[in-house]
Amino acid sequence: MEQNKEMTAQESLQLISNTFNNSRKEILRGSAKYFMLWGALLTVTSLVVYLLWHFTTKPQWNFLWFAMPAIGYPLAALIGKHNKAIPQSEVSKMLSGVWSVFGAFAITLSAIAIFLVPMRVSLIIVIMMGLAECMSGVLLKNWPFIIGGFLLGVGGAVFAMLVMGDAQLLIFTLGGVLLLVTGCIMKLQYK
Amino acid sequence: MFPKLDPLLHSELRLAVMSILAGVDEADFTYLKKQTGATSGNLSVQIDKLTAAGYITVEKGFKGKMPRTTCKITPAGQEAFSKYVEALKEYLSAGK
Repeated sequence: MEQNKEMTAQESLQLISNTFNNSRKEILRGSAKYFMLWGALLTVTSLVVYLLWHFTTKPQWNFLWFAMPAIGYPLAALIGKHNKAIPQSEVSKMLSGVWSVFGAFAITLSAIAIFLVPMRVSLIIVIMMGLAECMSGVLLKNWPFIIGGFLLGVGGAVFAMLVMGDAQLLIFTLGGVLLLVTGCIMKLQYK
Repeated sequence: MFPKLDPLLHSELRLAVMSILAGVDEADFTYLKKQTGATSGNLSVQIDKLTAAGYITVEKGFKGKMPRTTCKITPAGQEAFSKYVEALKEYLSAGK
């Protein structure tokens, strides 16, 4: 890139648009890694807890859920270290904010449900997860994510009311796959 | 009467740097270099010019043991960039 090149108005606007878009793509590719990480972890954790609960009939296996943030946050920090040169845009900051708030609510409510006040935590979490996915779709202006999040939240809520016990966990497997697919689509879309 | 284009921004590399910084909180020198494809020397010179004009601020520090130079657009830089884009649009709409 030359600093003294004479540019027409058209070329200048084109340069602004290209530079802005390339930067935006790189930033969102960085965000895609977090979707893939948490999607993979959610899929694996929900399947492992489901299988263990199903075959041993012991719901205590649900304590394994707490392993998910214990593994996920250090891995997310590692990705952050690897991505350290990639700046934050308003969209990437809002995406991170939406999912951090979801994580804080999910962990706190799960702990309260287990240790203090029993509640239908699967129902609450699946609604929040659908909402977070929907909001991610709004921020990324991506209709498939908005529709996927809406279906996960509404469909998951109905499923969580109708199905009891270990089978409820399968809705989180579906949620994990949705996050994983979201991350993969973002990585491909912003290539 | 068309508004005069800001000569500081009407340069390929400086405009690219400003376009990147306008969309992010702040950006590393290495990131700007990668995105613009410029050489370190050339980029440093242009960053100095933008800094002298008050369009961006540069902070030198360390991340761990590695030196890190971070650039950030200032409110004056945002305003100049917006005015520049508006002026370009006027030129283009007049040419239609």
